[in-house]
Amino acid sequence: MDDIIVRFENVTKQYDNDPPVLTDISFELERGKFYTLLGPSGCGKTTILRLIAGFTEPTMGKIYLSGQDVSSVPASKRQVNTVFQDYALFPHLNVYENVAFGLRVKRMDRPTIDAKVREALRFVNLIGLENRGVAGLSGGQQQRVAIARALVNEPQVLLLDEPLSALDLKLRAEMQYELRELQQRLGITFVFVTHDQEEALALSDEVFVLNNGVIQQRGTPIDIYDEPVNRFVADFIGESNIVPAVMVADGLVEFLGRRFECVDGGFRPDEPAEVVIRPEDLEVTTVEQGKVQVRVDSLLFRGVHYEICCYDDDGNEWLVHSTKRVKVGDRIGLYFDPDDIHVMRIGETEAEFDRRLESYATQGGVADGVQIA
Amino acid sequence: MDALESRRGSRVLSAGNVYLAVVFLLLYAPILYLIYYSFNSGGNMHTFESFTLEWYGQVLQDTRLIIIVLNTVVIALLSSAIATVVGVAGALAIHNARSRRLRNTLFTLNNVMIVSPDVIIGASFLMLFAMAGITLGFTSVLLSHIAFSVPIVVLMVMPKLQEMSPTLIDAAHDLGAESWDVLSRVIIPYITPGILAGFFMALTYSLDDFAVTFFVTGQGFSTLSVEIYSMAKQGISLTINALSTLVFLVTLGLVVVYYVITTKGAEAARRASRVISSAARSNAGSEVKA
Repeated sequence: MDDIIVRFENVTKQYDNDPPVLTDISFELERGKFYTLLGPSGCGKTTILRLIAGFTEPTMGKIYLSGQDVSSVPASKRQVNTVFQDYALFPHLNVYENVAFGLRVKRMDRPTIDAKVREALRFVNLIGLENRGVAGLSGGQQQRVAIARALVNEPQVLLLDEPLSALDLKLRAEMQYELRELQQRLGITFVFVTHDQEEALALSDEVFVLNNGVIQQRGTPIDIYDEPVNRFVADFIGESNIVPAVMVADGLVEFLGRRFECVDGGFRPDEPAEVVIRPEDLEVTTVEQGKVQVRVDSLLFRGVHYEICCYDDDGNEWLVHSTKRVKVGDRIGLYFDPDDIHVMRIGETEAEFDRRLESYATQGGVADGVQIA
Repeated sequence: MDALESRRGSRVLSAGNVYLAVVFLLLYAPILYLIYYSFNSGGNMHTFESFTLEWYGQVLQDTRLIIIVLNTVVIALLSSAIATVVGVAGALAIHNARSRRLRNTLFTLNNVMIVSPDVIIGASFLMLFAMAGITLGFTSVLLSHIAFSVPIVVLMVMPKLQEMSPTLIDAAHDLGAESWDVLSRVIIPYITPGILAGFFMALTYSLDDFAVTFFVTGQGFSTLSVEIYSMAKQGISLTINALSTLVFLVTLGLVVVYYVITTKGAEAARRASRVISSAARSNAGSEVKA
């Protein structure tokens, strides 16, 4: 219980008479982990961050920090700090004074402030820039000032609101490594908000996928990628081929008019479902060896692989990532293994998914294919 | 094609320049005329005899006039200082109004005060002071100057408040600042250019106000503009010219100071940021290499 740092208990947030931004959200965050809130804009991820920070209060429900109810405690009294999307550095203060701000308002004595500020600046590699104005710094440097300014207050939780979105691609990749390393060095909880799924998968211990104010799925990046609970998650995380199917029995699914062996179960007999196959799990082969026969429609060179767009005879689109070279108009076969197929129940929520997983895992059905239980 | 266009552009520009020169000449001619004859030993405003500083001497020897100048300056400094405090508080209140509609209404009401005629403001103050039983004099002039200066300060401060990102205030709270620290360490420093501009605007408005002051001033108390008016009514004396010239020069000085503060401040910031960003670029370059 002591390991839980943040706890949301049936939190709903609603502004005036608009539809709620968050609906009955409950979750727990553990100490020392890197969490990502992932979702499209307007999904409520930033609202969760603002609720943890204390900039806004929940309409219903309770929020706990280290076991204490902080639902109506103001931001200034919470041991939580934020790195803002626009950094929100104070333009009239130099780098040193920006970092010192939190300590000055806590009325610490000068030598203590000086020691802490210098340590924080050393931590983010900004020694020598103390007297610079913040307006003239590069994006990456501003970002590090913002991080130092937050960390100098020794927060239990660091909140990061899309902090990398203003940086160019190369710098963003660098900062991803830096952030991950920083979190491991500090050992405090990071809550990172982003709409970039690659960023979320690369950085996190655990990802929360949100849509329309509801947590769609939570889990390790691998869980979320390999076992999306519904069409939204499958579509939002990575690229996927989603085709309608019928679950004939445990371990047997029918789509494109044929039956395939798979590793999922727990469905009603002949229940309609959706099948997800990731583009990189499809192997380009000859028409005879392929499980699905398709015609190549277009081809994009992506550097690491070709992105091949094909259509089968029923007109379904198939996206394939392959290093094999094919020509537009070629007829090819696509091969996949039983555990490359992931069957989703239509409209299933995370809780229902977990329950189903448990029920057929304990029945001893095809549990060996499912690593997450 | 380009050459043709630029030639046409320059011709339009030169016609515009001529027009502008004529307008400014017309605007400044009376003042220049007045200044020119303030040095006339002939004592009139049609034939210039010889250069003299006699009228300036008379102005400086007139202790009553000097007291009036001091009155004017004291009223201006006091009223604009108080108006700045009140105006900043007002601007903050308007900015923090709950609904956008209320905010816009309050700001519009503020701006109406600036454009409404001085005569009406003066007359209404006169009635107010009469009803409230305030004797006309220093207090009534000060109060009315504060009142017409407050909207000016609000007008100058509002844009800076609107420009400030709300996340700055979130950030301050996040770092542990309570309301007072947020105000004194974040908001006030951010809007300081607006506050200074408001103060100087209020100062110039107060220094040269005639209409409102004329209504609310009483026995034994006068400001410069009112005094010049009553001197002019008594008949032509070149001391008026000398005094007006001095007032004009002081006003000009204030405008220059205001201009230097606003543009130099902005330019210095721009230059500093340029230097810093180029330094940061080279720094970033060396970082990549390292």
